[in-house]
Amino acid sequence: MSRLSFSWDKGVALFLVLAVMWGTLVADNFANTSNLAFVLRDVTEFAIIALAMTFLIISGEIDLSVASTLNLASASTGFLFREGLPFEVAMVGGLLVGLACGLFNGFLVTKLGLPSLAVTIATLALYRGLSFALLGNQPVNQLPDFWISIGYGKIPGTFLPWSTIVLVILAAIAWFILHHTRFGRWTFAIGVNAEAAKFSGIPVQRTKMTLFAMTGLMSGVAGIVYTLRFASASPDGAVGFELSIIAATLFGGVSIAGGVGTIWGVLAAVFSLGVIRSALQLSGFSANSLLMVSGGLLLISVIAPRVTEALRNRKPAAAKTNTKKTLREVGNE
Amino acid sequence: MTSLKQLLTAREMPVFIAILVVVIATGVAKPTFFSATGVIDILLGVSIVAILAIGQTFVIVMRHIDLSVGSLIGFTSFVIGDLYDKGYGTVGALAGALAIGLIVGAANGFLVAYMKLPSLVVTLGSLYIVRGIFSDYAFGRTVTAAMVPPEVSWIGLNRLFGIPYLFLIGLLLVAVSGVAMRRLRQGRDLYAIGSNPQAAELAGIPVARRVFGAFVINGAIAGLAGAVMLGRFSQANANSGLALELFVVAACVVGGVTIAGGSGSVWGAFLGAILLQSITRAIGALGIPQFWQQAFNGGLIILAIAFDKYLNSRVKTTTIMGSKDE
Repeated sequence: MSRLSFSWDKGVALFLVLAVMWGTLVADNFANTSNLAFVLRDVTEFAIIALAMTFLIISGEIDLSVASTLNLASASTGFLFREGLPFEVAMVGGLLVGLACGLFNGFLVTKLGLPSLAVTIATLALYRGLSFALLGNQPVNQLPDFWISIGYGKIPGTFLPWSTIVLVILAAIAWFILHHTRFGRWTFAIGVNAEAAKFSGIPVQRTKMTLFAMTGLMSGVAGIVYTLRFASASPDGAVGFELSIIAATLFGGVSIAGGVGTIWGVLAAVFSLGVIRSALQLSGFSANSLLMVSGGLLLISVIAPRVTEALRNRKPAAAKTNTKKTLREVGNE
Repeated sequence: MTSLKQLLTAREMPVFIAILVVVIATGVAKPTFFSATGVIDILLGVSIVAILAIGQTFVIVMRHIDLSVGSLIGFTSFVIGDLYDKGYGTVGALAGALAIGLIVGAANGFLVAYMKLPSLVVTLGSLYIVRGIFSDYAFGRTVTAAMVPPEVSWIGLNRLFGIPYLFLIGLLLVAVSGVAMRRLRQGRDLYAIGSNPQAAELAGIPVARRVFGAFVINGAIAGLAGAVMLGRFSQANANSGLALELFVVAACVVGGVTIAGGSGSVWGAFLGAILLQSITRAIGALGIPQFWQQAFNGGLIILAIAFDKYLNSRVKTTTIMGSKDE
């Protein structure tokens, strides 16, 4: 299985290269630094959250509340700033709210033992409602000039937006933790078989709690980036991002059944989708084509490994029920 | 033991009581809620989500999920108006909607049941694909009131003894599917599959066929529900039905259809949808800022899941001598 998923990651990376080449061919304004900066800006929040989502799905859980958390962090930042706190303090407040959202999800899942899919559908509504309750219908727009220039501006001497630095650092940390530390191996072990992980001494619940908290915090970071990018905190931002982020993560080779996935596969997937979106827009296709492409890629990402598996084995695979109930579905592999 | 049994067999009861409490409390605090269109508004407003929640229950009971229903109902509501406008007649338009529902349901069902792919991923994919095809088809166009088949808009606007026909359609559907789930072998099979897919397979239940069938039925319901949506809003555009899917799942969860499969009923899902809608309307009637609505709904869902968890833990410890479901 791991050999298969490895080749899928390679496939996604190759796909990214092809997408860039295709974009260069079909769209005149595609291959220049300003468009590249645009694509980067456009995917940064997605990518930051997808990093955390990768861990979470590998461990066999899911978080549908990420977009609402992103927005609640953004709304809290705006709210605190409007109430008169310095913007820097307000941003820290936003990050802490993101962390708190993640901790609350983690509490419901690990302490009360509730299914994460249902829990995070609930907190999706809850956190969104709180954004509205905080800000009312008034977005906060008058951010300090310095921070607006950070949101708009480029790193001096380059064409890259400042948020790229944040993404690069977080991606490096995420990659290191997932693939080179004990905590990363625990994450995989829990996703493969939570029961076995528990009996081999891995603190399953604590690890999951950390993962949810981390997802909340990363959503908070994405919320700050989002606020700065649009120089505004509004109650209705980022609606519907959650399913796009999950779709990109799964397309990047993370198995919804848990235990499989890589950081760079997911990053390649997020960037591929960003590149394709940009190329489609620049070459005059409607945004609808992107929807179809996203859906199609997602289906291919689950069908392809199954077909390769079937071809390789040439014998009927044992009936497997691939649901995300890893805790209940232990040992179905 | 008996009281526990009663509690267990009536998982829908607390939801029903909660609806009564919300409606009556709101009515007492704001008498106009009864006299005016308050209660009727609940019934009218809930019909779309309630009908989708019935179909979704078939799927969730088997430990699967169908996220494509929001895109699907939006698409078919547009298609019905569009086909009627192009002269295919009401029957032709509805047949078109049903066909689309069946095709999408069958595609989802095939991938999940026979190719053994995870339903979350498959239906997330079809959510995007259907929405993409829909947006392309509807590009820049809107179905206006003049394009709605007269029968559809009649059903959307009229009432029988004060109860909107749209709600009666939902009621009829929940009654029929409720009996089917309880009495028919196929219906019982769904619970067996949801409780333990491997055991169901070994017990000789045609698991793949049942899973496929449930997705097809859910697709057909969502497809035809396009007519309900069109009758309700008298218009459709490329954004119709956007983001409805998670709301539908939420209604099921509130109504006691557990995400882990094997328990819950269509009645529960139906009542769950009504409860969520009642709270929305009550908040409006009581003058609480509308912002709180989603926060309330979120809290309610958490409460419902926690309640199910509590019931489940009691089942495990108490019914050691028999595996009585529900």
